[in-house]
Amino acid sequence: MAQSAAVDTQQQYNYAIIKKFSIMALVWGVLGMAAGLYAALELAYPFLNFNIPEITFGRLRPVHTTLVIFGFGGSALFATSYYVVQRTSQARLYGDGLANFTFWGWQLSVGLGALSYMFGITQSREYAEFEWPIDILITLTWVAYFWVYVQTLRRRSQPHIYVANWFYISFILATAILHIFNNLAIPVNLFSLKSYSLFSGVQDAMTQWWYGHNAVGFFLTAAFLGMMYYFVPKQAGRPVYSYRLSIIHFWALAFLYMWVGAHHLHWTALPDWTSTLAATFSVMLLLPSWGGMINGIMTLSGAWHKLRTDPIMLFMITALSFYGMSTFEGPLMSLKSVNALSHYTDWTIGHVHSGALGWVALISFGSLYHMVPRLYDTKLWSLRLVYAHFFLATIGIVLYITAMWVAGIGQGLLLRAFDDQFGTLAYTFIETVTFLHKPYVVRALGGAFFVSGIVLMAVNIAMTIRQAKVEQAAIEAKIASKLARA
Amino acid sequence: MSFFKHESIEINAGLLIALTMVVISIGGLVEIVPLFYIKNTIEKVEGVRPYTPLELRGRDIYQREGCYLCHSQMIRPFRDEMLRYGHYSLAAESQYDHPFQWGSKRTGPDLARVGGKYSNEWHVAHMINPRDVVPESIMPSYPWLMENELEYSDIADRMRALKKAGVPYSETREEYQANVEKFGREVADRLNILAAEQNLIAEAQAGNFDGDRARLTEMDALVAYLQMLGTLVDFSQYEEGHFAEFR
Amino acid sequence: MSELLRWIGQFENSKIVALLIFFVTFCAIIIYVFTGKRRKQRLESYKYIPFEDDEKESRTQRKVNDDE
Repeated sequence: MAQSAAVDTQQQYNYAIIKKFSIMALVWGVLGMAAGLYAALELAYPFLNFNIPEITFGRLRPVHTTLVIFGFGGSALFATSYYVVQRTSQARLYGDGLANFTFWGWQLSVGLGALSYMFGITQSREYAEFEWPIDILITLTWVAYFWVYVQTLRRRSQPHIYVANWFYISFILATAILHIFNNLAIPVNLFSLKSYSLFSGVQDAMTQWWYGHNAVGFFLTAAFLGMMYYFVPKQAGRPVYSYRLSIIHFWALAFLYMWVGAHHLHWTALPDWTSTLAATFSVMLLLPSWGGMINGIMTLSGAWHKLRTDPIMLFMITALSFYGMSTFEGPLMSLKSVNALSHYTDWTIGHVHSGALGWVALISFGSLYHMVPRLYDTKLWSLRLVYAHFFLATIGIVLYITAMWVAGIGQGLLLRAFDDQFGTLAYTFIETVTFLHKPYVVRALGGAFFVSGIVLMAVNIAMTIRQAKVEQAAIEAKIASKLARA
Repeated sequence: MSFFKHESIEINAGLLIALTMVVISIGGLVEIVPLFYIKNTIEKVEGVRPYTPLELRGRDIYQREGCYLCHSQMIRPFRDEMLRYGHYSLAAESQYDHPFQWGSKRTGPDLARVGGKYSNEWHVAHMINPRDVVPESIMPSYPWLMENELEYSDIADRMRALKKAGVPYSETREEYQANVEKFGREVADRLNILAAEQNLIAEAQAGNFDGDRARLTEMDALVAYLQMLGTLVDFSQYEEGHFAEFR
Repeated sequence: MSELLRWIGQFENSKIVALLIFFVTFCAIIIYVFTGKRRKQRLESYKYIPFEDDEKESRTQRKVNDDE
């Protein structure tokens, strides 16, 4: 206890749990993005399905979405939220054991989920394919997460709760509600992994897309905004542009998002009023989204030169730019007239990826690059690799979304083209599929760029951790020798 | 404003949580709950019935293989879609779909009314290798559907689970009678949980969906399901524009 | 007045009622947040919270301490 006078962050905070989640975020990230790349190649070159049931496109796509959203995104959120709540409360994380339970519960859910889809065990609800036993495990994990988070907040050293925590809390609460109501299902029997959803048809569709869009709204947006409100100011070394704007941003976002799910069901058998309401709210959502983006970007105002020397800042600002772009594209696509063209096409896939790669992944990369060296009390192994990662990722995203715009808008136009003379359909469906081949190849190329970027990151982080261990060993050796001399 | 201070939210985690809950619940409540109560959500049409045991197993396989990721089952009311796929889909047509399979992406064509469009032989050949019948197709091949024997030992349990969710499969005499009145005797017989296994085998034998009467394969079930999709409602019975009032 | 209350109580009007309530609340939050000089100072002071526990001593510094 000789050093107890110098309270250092390594002992004050529970960093072990954050390290575990950070490493798993990268592991799932590499696996999930590689699975996505393979699925993209299957669409371009169908022989790659190899007649192996476990890796056919229909089973591999949920593996990809689950690993990247819940494995990579989820683990990054656990890691950063545990970091942010401790550092802004200046209190140690509540319950080491319970926090560990959230780690194992979450990793097990993600791993078992991905495996189960390969073996055909699925609820066939997009982004909620987990069958009922895993759903229960997720629920337990989530309750523990909520408890750990709130109890830690209660230990905070000052009255005000920093706004990043608000966003994390809304994400935890919303995800809980969404998960429970969207997964109401009746198992075939207690020993069967198969279940049938409680709702059917229209109601089921509405529930699923209320879930589906808010998984985007709260899991992939609100939570990552929490990340943004802590890590962007920290990395920039300047406080957030306007704290008051962040309060407005929070309430507006939390309120508006929950209404917009039905824009995934325009022109379907869902009653018109529901989808009109959803479209209206989708357009209104542009305001808080851009308010948040401006708040983040303006944090750097007066310090723009940092972009020239700091690749981590480059990740964060680019992420915010993509956030702005995709939150503009989203309301546009939710207009019924645009949606008539875009729905069912690859434009949607492109939109999701400009948000998921451009916003979610880039802000996570930036935050992890900021956080990991601090967790291990060292410096990043290589800043040049961070630059390389940044350029690979950005080129990858641009290729990806451009290819999907061409594919989506192109296919949409071909499908609704009529023969001038006879008024019959100008193209058969399969002709539009042939048209998709080239964009699909370019998309896979974009994906390959992005995957190689995260592989570089994994190497960089692994080397950083190794370097930290070497440094630690050197110090211990020195102390030991000094003690021996004394 | 004095009676309520935003500051008390900022410093009170419990209050922040409670208010966030209210704010995020309201959108879902307002949009979803009325769907269960407003009469016009689901049209009244003749002919829609729950799936037979064989079709149900086919539908399970459809979900297992992730078909919904590339094929929608929801035709929108546009000229090109009606020319390509048929009458736009009604809410009533998926009222027994637990879960719904409307899909969100058409990498392949919509399947809401694929039933009867192609022969059983075409479907079997297409599933074994899509490129044999459509050279440009990018769909994976599903040869194992023809090799795997159909597992149907828990078919009664599956129907019971759906019954709990509100699908009118019958177990008692009264439930059966109610089905006879609602769907007619022929359909009611096939919705009887107690005779599920016999019905399933009989339907596969009679339909001979996979072209091999000696074996009851997963292909039998899947093709049986595909061949009934969108065939239940006879749209010639209804006047043009009859369904518009439900939109 | 009683007519208004009845209108509010009707199920079909729940959407509009909810919208009005939340819109008014939202306006109130905006007004609250953006008015008052003292409130401005108080709220904006919170943005320094992330910097309050700035990196306490890196490893090299601790080493110096040990050497003393």
